[in-house]
Amino acid sequence: MPAQSSHPVAAVLRGFARYALVAAFAGVFAIFAAIAPSFLSGANLLSVLVNNFTLLAIVAIAMTFAVSAGGIDLSVGTAIDFSSFAFVSLVLAGQPVPLAILGGLAGGILVGLFNALLISGIGISPFLATLGTLFVGRSAQQLLTNGGNPVYLPPSGIPEAFRLLGHGTIAGVPAPLVIAFGIIVVAWLILARTRFGRVNLATGIQASVVRYSGLALPRYTAATYVLVSLIAAVAGLIVTSTVTVYIPSSGNAFLLNAIGATFIGTTLDPNGRPNIPGTVLGVLLLSIVANGLLLSGLNFYWQQVATGLLIFTVLAIGFANRKAGARA
Amino acid sequence: MAAPVNVDQEDEIVRLSGIVKRFGGAQALSGASLAVKRGTVHGLVGQNGAGKSTLIKLLAGLHQADEGQIEIDGIAYGALTPPQVEHLGIHFIHQDRLLVPTFTVGEALFLGREPRIAGTPFLDRKLMRQKSAEILDRYFGLRLPNSALIGDLTAAEKQIVQITRALLDGPKVLVFDEPTAALVRREAELLFGLIRRLRDEGITIHYISHYLSEIVDLCDTVTVLRNGRDVATLPVVGTSAKDIGTLMVNRDIAELYPKPQVSLGEPLLQLDRLALADRYADVSLTLHKGEVLGLTGLLGSGAKELVRTLFGLESPTAGTVTIHGETVLCPNPAAATAKRLALVPEDRRRDGVALDLSVTENITLASLDRFSRAGLLDRAVEKRQASALIERLQIKTDSADALVRTLSGGNQQKVAIAKWLSRQSEIYLLDEPSVGVDIAAKVEIYTLIGELAERGAGVIVLSSDIEELLGITDRVLVFFRGKISRDFISAETRPEQILAEVTGANETLRHAG
Repeated sequence: MPAQSSHPVAAVLRGFARYALVAAFAGVFAIFAAIAPSFLSGANLLSVLVNNFTLLAIVAIAMTFAVSAGGIDLSVGTAIDFSSFAFVSLVLAGQPVPLAILGGLAGGILVGLFNALLISGIGISPFLATLGTLFVGRSAQQLLTNGGNPVYLPPSGIPEAFRLLGHGTIAGVPAPLVIAFGIIVVAWLILARTRFGRVNLATGIQASVVRYSGLALPRYTAATYVLVSLIAAVAGLIVTSTVTVYIPSSGNAFLLNAIGATFIGTTLDPNGRPNIPGTVLGVLLLSIVANGLLLSGLNFYWQQVATGLLIFTVLAIGFANRKAGARA
Repeated sequence: MAAPVNVDQEDEIVRLSGIVKRFGGAQALSGASLAVKRGTVHGLVGQNGAGKSTLIKLLAGLHQADEGQIEIDGIAYGALTPPQVEHLGIHFIHQDRLLVPTFTVGEALFLGREPRIAGTPFLDRKLMRQKSAEILDRYFGLRLPNSALIGDLTAAEKQIVQITRALLDGPKVLVFDEPTAALVRREAELLFGLIRRLRDEGITIHYISHYLSEIVDLCDTVTVLRNGRDVATLPVVGTSAKDIGTLMVNRDIAELYPKPQVSLGEPLLQLDRLALADRYADVSLTLHKGEVLGLTGLLGSGAKELVRTLFGLESPTAGTVTIHGETVLCPNPAAATAKRLALVPEDRRRDGVALDLSVTENITLASLDRFSRAGLLDRAVEKRQASALIERLQIKTDSADALVRTLSGGNQQKVAIAKWLSRQSEIYLLDEPSVGVDIAAKVEIYTLIGELAERGAGVIVLSSDIEELLGITDRVLVFFRGKISRDFISAETRPEQILAEVTGANETLRHAG
């Protein structure tokens, strides 16, 4: 809303705040380029994209749908794990890889269906429902794996197709990056340009109006949590194909960063709504921070502090911006 | 039992004079006075918006007056606080002042003034049990264990707990604010008996009610409020419910209501002996194309529940709904909207519009499939439709993309209606469509309702503003205690006739006659 302010300085400040996320990204990028010479190398930047960015981007996009609907999904890691477990188990059982991939996706969706039942069917709040799923999922995995033992694929017996998702290339570009890019585009279309996305957004803003508008709110909510788990399941397939092992409850590693990136991303929208471009930029920011701190030789443990500070800063500026906007 | 004719100041236990109270730009009270004599039952009546609840909240210390003074027992007070009012011996029995449902009766009765065992910090449970049992038995002949949960009590029992709580304090004045709204007839009779007995024991009763019949039955004196001031204070003996109703009604705003002449088309919506558990029963009506049908009734009369049922928010327990000659079932709002029903709900800011969605997003929310092409929303078409409706309804907004939060109440309401125009709904259910809307926007909304009828839609307006209803509808159906008690042709009806029907004054007359 640039035209609202009469004072040019205020307008510039607001413009800056609106793009706090872009500014933070550029600033962090410049700092690392200055202090860590290897940061700017093509090989490093590609590694940031492949190793740091892709998986977190996919999980954060899944999270964005839950947050946009006014909820949250604490069990995205569980969907990743179930997908991974089903994928590895089917390959171990000698099933063809395409079937194992479908099995993996189905494993993840199972988690989403369970969440949908709790949230839409029973009416438990998304936070508590998915927290419960997180606990149940962890126990289930321990039971399935004899107390939490990883399930390895024997190095000799890995079908070539299995490794494609994690290690293959498509037209010279690493496959995980292509998949992530595809998910970004489709997710952006769904959230910003479809009826489902609009209802999802309206639910997060004022669920009661959605119901009073004659939209089948429980069905939309259920579909949201199934979609979240489906997207997370793709991340599960990629990570499994990359490391050729299923490690119980390892998917939770992405949870906090995915939530962080989603909320950082909300600052990109003038009304503070969750949005795919914002989430992607949030993931990029967290990715280069992780990589840059590593290259600068900073103690690994400082990485979480830096991430936390970054989230505070971007959210604080974004919030102040919206408050100023509301007053204008 | 005429009221004492003595108008001695000394005899007035509560006296409010020249009270002015503004909320923002709205003047709720403009010089209202009220004097309640000791040992009487004093009624207070007035239409919605007349200022009854504001006046009572001032007395309770919940609001402070801008001008005027409050005297209690002959002592003037500038500003009162709720604990101070209780300390002065004035207690309020209010339907909405909810008791915490998870408390026990004992906890609710003694909340904040629990007796202690002398010299210790421990609660004297035995004394609490004795005191409450004594009052419950003496006044209500009731044994309500102190350990019973409030949430398990009936509405009448909850009220008894409230009254008991007040009586434990040895009150001088008891103020009953719409006490019978949630009671069945027999419970109400018991309450009236109790009120008379308390009055005979010397407690002054101030009784606020919509039901004129109750006022006539129960009160010694009645004060009528209209437009923020008291228009009359009369002894009830020699006054009829109709006289009181006439005093309540305001006559000088007839030009407000533009109503086009529309000839009625074929039947659109027919209800046959529709019923919903204990909320309403035996409701039959027909809504034609081009017709504006008014519904009115007190809270709990069943009118609102009927509207909710039609929109699929409640499931009827008996009877049928027919639309275009076809029997339909609407178990949820999605099914109702598919039958081209539209609801503009009373709580606009919660259910009607999404405050943090834009005007365009609100307008198209119920009709998104119209703007989808190959699964994707065509935002250009969406925006065109929204802009056309903004233009047609003259919605005042900075842009089609402004958040609805930034609009005035009247313009928010127009957005809530535009949402259904975009869906091309055919049967409009409008629940209190002009509440919280300024006069200019009200007239625009009335005009819009007329246009809907001209275009062949059927409109049902639920409103507690009787003049508004008569001004914009063809017919008015009055709900009383779960039934359609009477229907009126709007053009041939005066407001006080409806008011008498709404408040049950006619019931009294019929009993008497």
